[in-house]
This record gives sequence, C-alpha cells and structure tokens, in this order.
Amino acid sequence: MIEATFPLLGTAFVVLIVLPTFALLAKAGLVMLERDEVGGPLHGLNLRYVLLTGSSVLPIAWLLSAGLHQAETAKSALACLLDHDTAELCFEPGFFALMLAVVVVASSIGVMRKHRGVRVSSTDAARTLLRRVARITSSDPVLASLRDRVVVTDDDGFALGTHGLLKPRVFVGTAFAARLSEEMLASALGHEAEHVRALDPLRYLILQLALAVNPFGRFLLEPHAVRWQAAREAHCDREAVILGAAPLPLADAIVRAARPGAREVVALGARDTAVLKFRIGMLLAFSERAPARCCHQGPSAFPVAFVLLLIALLLPHQTGTAALDALHTGAEHALTYFWR
Amino acid sequence: MDVVWGKHLSSFAVGDVLAILEKQRDIAYTTVMTTVTRLYEKGILERERDGKRYIYSPKLTRAEFMESTAREVLDEAVGGHQAMVMLAEKVSEASAGELDDLEAIIQKRREELDA
Repeated sequence: MIEATFPLLGTAFVVLIVLPTFALLAKAGLVMLERDEVGGPLHGLNLRYVLLTGSSVLPIAWLLSAGLHQAETAKSALACLLDHDTAELCFEPGFFALMLAVVVVASSIGVMRKHRGVRVSSTDAARTLLRRVARITSSDPVLASLRDRVVVTDDDGFALGTHGLLKPRVFVGTAFAARLSEEMLASALGHEAEHVRALDPLRYLILQLALAVNPFGRFLLEPHAVRWQAAREAHCDREAVILGAAPLPLADAIVRAARPGAREVVALGARDTAVLKFRIGMLLAFSERAPARCCHQGPSAFPVAFVLLLIALLLPHQTGTAALDALHTGAEHALTYFWR
Repeated sequence: MDVVWGKHLSSFAVGDVLAILEKQRDIAYTTVMTTVTRLYEKGILERERDGKRYIYSPKLTRAEFMESTAREVLDEAVGGHQAMVMLAEKVSEASAGELDDLEAIIQKRREELDA
C-alpha cells in the first residue's frame, strides 16, 4: 500500500461525500428555520449563518486537527512531516491534513481574487464630499461610530458600500453622493453603519469561502445563502430605521444605488429586482409604522462560531480520532478492493 | 392597495378608490372593480354587503402584508454573491422601468406624508 493512498483518497472522500453530507444536514436545518412562521424571514439570521458556514468549516477544522494530532509523535507536526524516519508512524495523517489544507487554500483563491478593493480618491471633489459626510456624521450621534471610517472614491461605477474585514470602512462614490440629498446620504450611512458594526464584509467573505470549499455541496446551500444575504440587507435597513434613519430617503437612496452607470449597463447581467422591491416595500411600511427591534435574533454569530470552531479543533485531542481512523482504513480497504 | 394604505381607507367602496385614481389618470370603473375583487379573492381585503354594493376593508396593514409576503419574495431571489457589501446591487437596463416605478411610489408616499 503506497503512503499516498490515504491522503489522496481520504481527501477525495471528504470533498465528495463528507462535506456534501454535512451540507445536506445543514439544508434540512435551514429549511426548518426558513419555514418557521413565528419569526418571519428576517429572524434567526445568526443561526442560519452558523449552519451555512459551519457545515463546511467545522468538519474541515475537525479533520485538520485530527490529522495533525495523529501526526504528533513527540515532535511538532511539521517536523514529523519532513522526517521520513518516522513516516510509518505519522506521515499519512499528517499528509492527509496537508492535502486537505491545500484543497481549502486552492478553492479559496478564486473567492479572494474576486474580493477586489476600491480605490480611495483624494481629489477636490473627494475632499468636498468628505467634509459633507463629516458634517452629517458629527450631527448624528448614531453615525458618530462612522467618524474616520468613511472614505471616498471617484470610481463612477461605485455607489456606496462597506469594505475591510477587521476594520471595515464605508466607501462613498462621489458621483453617487452628488445625486443624494443630505437626508438620503445620512440614511444610507445609517444602513452601512450596521454593516460596519456587525463586521459584515468578514461575514460575507467567510460565507463565500465556506461555499467554495464545498464544491459538491454548495448547490444545496447556495439558494439559502442568497436568501440569507438578502434578508441581512433588509435587516440592516430595519436597524438603520430603528436607530433614527428616515425610511423614505433610505428607500430613495437604495433605488438610486441600484441604477447602473452608463458604462456598466452592458457589462451587468440581469439582476432580480424582487429583493429590491421587498426592501422598498418594507421601508414604505416603516414610514407608516415604526419598526420594533426583532426579539429572536439569538446570540451574536461571531462568538458562537468561534466557540464552535474551538470545540472542533480541540475535540480530536480530547475524545480521540476514531472517525479519522475509520476514514483511513476505509480508504485503504476501498483501494485494495478495487485494485484486485 | 397603495391607495388604500396611503389614504388610510379603513373601509371603502369601489367608487371611493375610483375617485382617487381618476385624479391621477384615466381609469375605468370595471378595471378598479376587477382589481378590488381580485384582492378580496386573494384574502388581502374583506368585504360586507351594503345594499347593492360591497364595502371593503384591508385585512392587513402595509407592514403586516410585507411581513407575510417577505418569505415569498425572498424565495424568488436569484443571482450570485458579491464579495463587497453594497447598499444595493445594481440591476440591468431591463429593470430601469421597474426602478422608475419604485421611485414614483416613494415620491408619492413622501407627498402624502407631507400633505
């Protein structure tokens, strides 16, 4: 039996069977949550997010940790990988963990490439807009959190958005801002303030990475991810209004942001406007009756996700790695069976 | 329903809606009647007989209606993910007419509130 059998077959088994199975289980949970009539589609966003991302991240974290744990032979995992004298003891699970890590990194490259930044401008128009934004944020206590967090771009195709993973910043397009009244811009900044507070660029990126590392399971989860993202945007609208943003100017700003610039029209594919209509309808409703804060939001996603990740990483060291042994022997038996 | 919610009509006859819409555009009584009847059949309006005519009233506020239809609307959501978090995803030229309609509705609502 060659030593590469388990690392190669085991990784293929994880990608083809294990991760899609977890995706199927997560889908069952998501379907039940989305059918919950009590809360409505904007409720349970954090739990839905944990299911969407955890179904890929947690099994991979456990398998990586278990592989490295088996590779430990009183030496560091890296030393074990490089030291062929102890290869019989630890080469295979260590190499399996390495293979899995390579697959994760390779599938993440595409996502990271799409995650392009936005150019910050320092032209006269940009400085004028920054002064305008500073006036708005200094006069509104809720928007005070955005002080020094707003930057400006002269990119005509860019409207308004939040970038940056650990220290997100709000980017405002000069051309877009010129089409907005003060009230519209303040309301739109209120929407972005919620994205900044919740570290949404990081959330969105982790979600995309979680889907990317599960190529055969992502088709099960992608519709739920799209719905989650749409609901998340609507949630930010509602939070902005609860904190004082005017609903109709926000609705106006959203419609204006959805209009492509002249040079983008050809490049853009058809986008469904259903979500846009829903958000506008919701804001029209808020202009009649102020929204109340949703009471079933559950615990914040990041602490829960961190604790779950920690458990997945520590579990193999505490409770053993029997599942990895089963995967190991199963892969080798399968090869022996088909090789005959 | 925009007229009913916008004008806060708690109960109304077809003629009441017609009178409001006629100020905005030419519209036939039968068109309004058909629309109102469809809204009743869909369970959005309820009605009581008042002599020869029906008196309608909305079963839901605009907020309640949005909440009840939100799941359906979000189910229709398609499209991929964007790495960036944007105020709104841009839509295609084909949807420009729909954006015009949305802007008109917002503008109308603002005028109603100002009035």
